Amino acid sequence: MGKIPYEFIEHTADIGIRVRGGSLEDLFKNAALAMFEIIAERKKSAPQSAKKHLKIKQTADTTDELFINWLSELLSLSSAKGLIFSDLKIEKMDETGLRATAAGEDSGNYRFNREIKAVTYHGFKLEQGPSGWQAEVIFDV
Amino acid sequence: MKEMWQGPLEKIDDRRFRIPRSYKTGMLVDGIIIADERLLKSIRQDKALEQVVNVAFLPGIVKASFAMPDIHWGYGFAIGGVAATDIDAGGVISPGGVGFDINCGVRLVKTNLRYDEIKDRIEKIVARLFSDVPAGIGSKGDIRVSPKEERQILIKGARWCVEQGYGVEADLEATEENGEIKGADPSGVSDRAYERGKAQSGTLGSGNHFLEIQAVEQVFDRGAADRFGISEGQIVLMIHSGSRGFGYQVCDEYAKGMIKALAKYSINVPDRQLACAPVNSSEGKAYLGAMRCAANYAWANRQNLMHLARGSFEKIFGRSWQDLGMDLIYDVAHNIAKIEKHKVGGKEKLLCVHRKGATRAFGPGSPGIPAQYEDIGQPVIIPGDMGRNSYLLAGTRRAMEETFGSTCHGAGRLMSRHEAKRRVNFSELISRLKAKGIVVMSSGRGTVVEEAPEAYKDVNEVVDVVHKAGISKKVCKMRPLGVIKG
Repeated sequence: MGKIPYEFIEHTADIGIRVRGGSLEDLFKNAALAMFEIIAERKKSAPQSAKKHLKIKQTADTTDELFINWLSELLSLSSAKGLIFSDLKIEKMDETGLRATAAGEDSGNYRFNREIKAVTYHGFKLEQGPSGWQAEVIFDV
Repeated sequence: MKEMWQGPLEKIDDRRFRIPRSYKTGMLVDGIIIADERLLKSIRQDKALEQVVNVAFLPGIVKASFAMPDIHWGYGFAIGGVAATDIDAGGVISPGGVGFDINCGVRLVKTNLRYDEIKDRIEKIVARLFSDVPAGIGSKGDIRVSPKEERQILIKGARWCVEQGYGVEADLEATEENGEIKGADPSGVSDRAYERGKAQSGTLGSGNHFLEIQAVEQVFDRGAADRFGISEGQIVLMIHSGSRGFGYQVCDEYAKGMIKALAKYSINVPDRQLACAPVNSSEGKAYLGAMRCAANYAWANRQNLMHLARGSFEKIFGRSWQDLGMDLIYDVAHNIAKIEKHKVGGKEKLLCVHRKGATRAFGPGSPGIPAQYEDIGQPVIIPGDMGRNSYLLAGTRRAMEETFGSTCHGAGRLMSRHEAKRRVNFSELISRLKAKGIVVMSSGRGTVVEEAPEAYKDVNEVVDVVHKAGISKKVCKMRPLGVIKG
């Protein structure tokens, strides 16, 4: 997988990122992959193991809400199931709903860098520009 | 550094500054910042003061939107914010005024050990604690609970631990709300929150959470210190942790639900992370019930952590924790909303007091403080930053009159975690701390670097401000000897 198109935004207490995607679907995937890249990195010594696949379904009133809910759901699932997601497939999506499969490995195969407690609405921005979609989101760490 | 906040700040006295409610249409009260000119320079450098302004929009807010000197930019409320709403006047409750880590808090345990007795064994003690106390992201505890037991923890908090033999009744007497806040409603807790909570009881977590061995360095108030059982050179243990994934899940779910409540109750707030509902609404009551579950989870967690630490000391010293005098001085919440009675304009009102990154600091004679501390005020525990001091203070009558019995909660961040990571070198930091006689063990290098002392304001300055402002008084300060971080 190539480099995920995101950068950090300075925030005193927490961590913010600015992330891009050619389509809304790409943006959602990139944001989630960036979030897990911030949380942990795969141990070089970790053995190859089968990924677990989880189905995700989200609906929301707005696309902003859908974006926050998507990241929150992945974060929460990761913590509850002890998985780090590295492969995301969005099967169906419109502006207020999505269906996806998230594949991840046991978190024991990863070295944790930082805990993200939550995805916040604070300072949240989601916009479409000439070269695609961009979002700014702050994580509570 | 450039100043990011250019709004009005009127000086009330040397340690109080006002953002007048005329600054922005929609503010219902003034913003009051407890700080001094020096700290204000750093406070102005992020958006924390704008957040103090935003909180002044909350329906039913009384007196002022307060900020403590450790204030820094959060989400919704600033961290270091205190706000109370009048419940009978439609006052609201906001999950963003509590934070994701519900009842993140700190406890201080004394010992009868002296620094001279243990100074050559600090590394050994830290290693033992590091091996016995699960720390780090995603760490799982040895104290595994069934769903039925987890429900009991949510209702009984630290009492559940005492019933299991992980502590004694006196521990509960020395805990805010006796470690079991009433009104917790497990029926409002989702299956996902249960799932996240079941393996994490008795785990430290990561970030700024820690377990630290400290030596009492200086006593400022001999009378109060005697009552707390503290003297210079004494070894104490500080535990800083919260409600872990359980609390994050509760906050996340209810904060989302509250966004819908904004439209339902026609509430206008400038930041979605300030979403709220009247305390007396179904949404408000449901959040209170679930938040109290998370608060109880956190008290149980710190009780379990103390139990594990007591066990480590027993193994090292070959004596029981009772023989080692490992009694709990006190345990306080730093992120919570409480229903309390306070006088506003000479009239007693039932308020919902939000303390987000702030400590309850009830003065002498206030209800709800342990009988043995009744005449000196509630102990207030202010953790430092791993390289500098931590403090034990006592609540004051002035805090009751002015800030709903509240004070600061720590040093407060100065530098972003990202910037700290860029500027601080792990090995250099560890050697620097070692040269100061501080041993650090951590499950991750990143956390230690992000929590480097230079990333924080000087806690000595912060505490000096609240002491001089009279909203809590210094009892003693401690210096770190050994730290375990997640």
